[in-house]
Amino acid sequence: MNCHEAARLIDPYVDDELAAVDSASVAEHIEGCARCRQQVADRESLRRLVRSVPYHAAPAGVRTSIATGRRESRMSSRVLAWAAGLAIAVTAAGTIGIRARETAQATTALAGDVVDRHISALASEHVFEVRSSNQHTIKPWFQGKLDVSPPVADLASAGFPLVGGRVDTIGGRRVAALVYQRREHVIDVFVSPVGGRVATSDARSIRGFQERHWVQADLSLWAVSDLNNRELSEFVEAFASATQ
Amino acid sequence: MAPRDFDAVVAPHLDAAFNYARWLTRNDADAEDVLQDAAIRALRFLPSLRNDDARAWLLAIVRNTWYGRSAKQVNARRMTTYEETMDERRDDSLGPEALVLQRQTVEQVQSAVESLPLDFREVIVLRELEGLPYKDIAAIVGVPIGTVMSRLSRARERLLAILKPALSAGGGA
Repeated sequence: MNCHEAARLIDPYVDDELAAVDSASVAEHIEGCARCRQQVADRESLRRLVRSVPYHAAPAGVRTSIATGRRESRMSSRVLAWAAGLAIAVTAAGTIGIRARETAQATTALAGDVVDRHISALASEHVFEVRSSNQHTIKPWFQGKLDVSPPVADLASAGFPLVGGRVDTIGGRRVAALVYQRREHVIDVFVSPVGGRVATSDARSIRGFQERHWVQADLSLWAVSDLNNRELSEFVEAFASATQ
Repeated sequence: MAPRDFDAVVAPHLDAAFNYARWLTRNDADAEDVLQDAAIRALRFLPSLRNDDARAWLLAIVRNTWYGRSAKQVNARRMTTYEETMDERRDDSLGPEALVLQRQTVEQVQSAVESLPLDFREVIVLRELEGLPYKDIAAIVGVPIGTVMSRLSRARERLLAILKPALSAGGGA
């Protein structure tokens, strides 16, 4: 591959949008070409810069008025149907609906918190309180600090080396944070006992960060990273199968 | 869950919807109006949503809502922003103090992204801030994937040209 060919592929390369074989060719080219390597580095720096601007979250007032407007429209359209003798069925369904909504809201709130904590740990350089790639060092470190003993496995063989851990706070609760790495990306795994009304599994993307939530042996786990979706899925699979 | 629940399916993406609207409109008041209208439409269209991944779907509604409201204003705004961009490029005298630099950097980045023409601005927001794959961006913007790729590439070239001083000074932070 020459520079001309590589130039067309640099953007999809940094965006992880290339087929594996093309991605490998670009990687091989930039290995030996300082100019194209700089192009890749510039784009990665640019991404970090762009992500440093304030994110515009939906103002609470707009959320409320969306919720209110919706309730009104729902009332008017459904009142007639409800009146048709389905009161009991609707009440039951309504209760389930409210529970589902509470669960969804609780999950969304936690997911937001997970991203906030991840970003703030990266920004403060308070990523590690204990730094080690040895699971037998990390796991005992949490003893006596938390009401949970997190499952820990070094996943270097799967391409996700363990790099450390810290105590963090998610949803007002102290949790274990395990820190893994892939290339220049940091992956945080937050571990806490299952509690409250939260979905048993969840995957979403917030402000460019990918998140996965799952439940494993009475523990609630959240993985978060600016890795791409596919690699974070790989990570979660590797983590779950190594620790179960 | 036969009828899809707005709160479970759509509400989780309201932040992304507002962020996108805010970058499209570049002011809070218009962004709030767009989000309100888009939410009403989303509720109406909810039965037509094919899967539970509502994010790209909602963002496409946001975009259409905004276009419907203010197609005419766009061109006028584009003209002014080109001039702003030109002004900014001349200002590459950055002070040495790290703190000042950092705050300046964020402001510079923000105004650099805001100064991009709409076609470029939205792909940067959808890719870098929302982390969406090309396929979803193409669906939202309504162009082929190849166009998404070339717009991203040109948008980045342009941002890099504007932000070169910030990059070399504080890009790694």
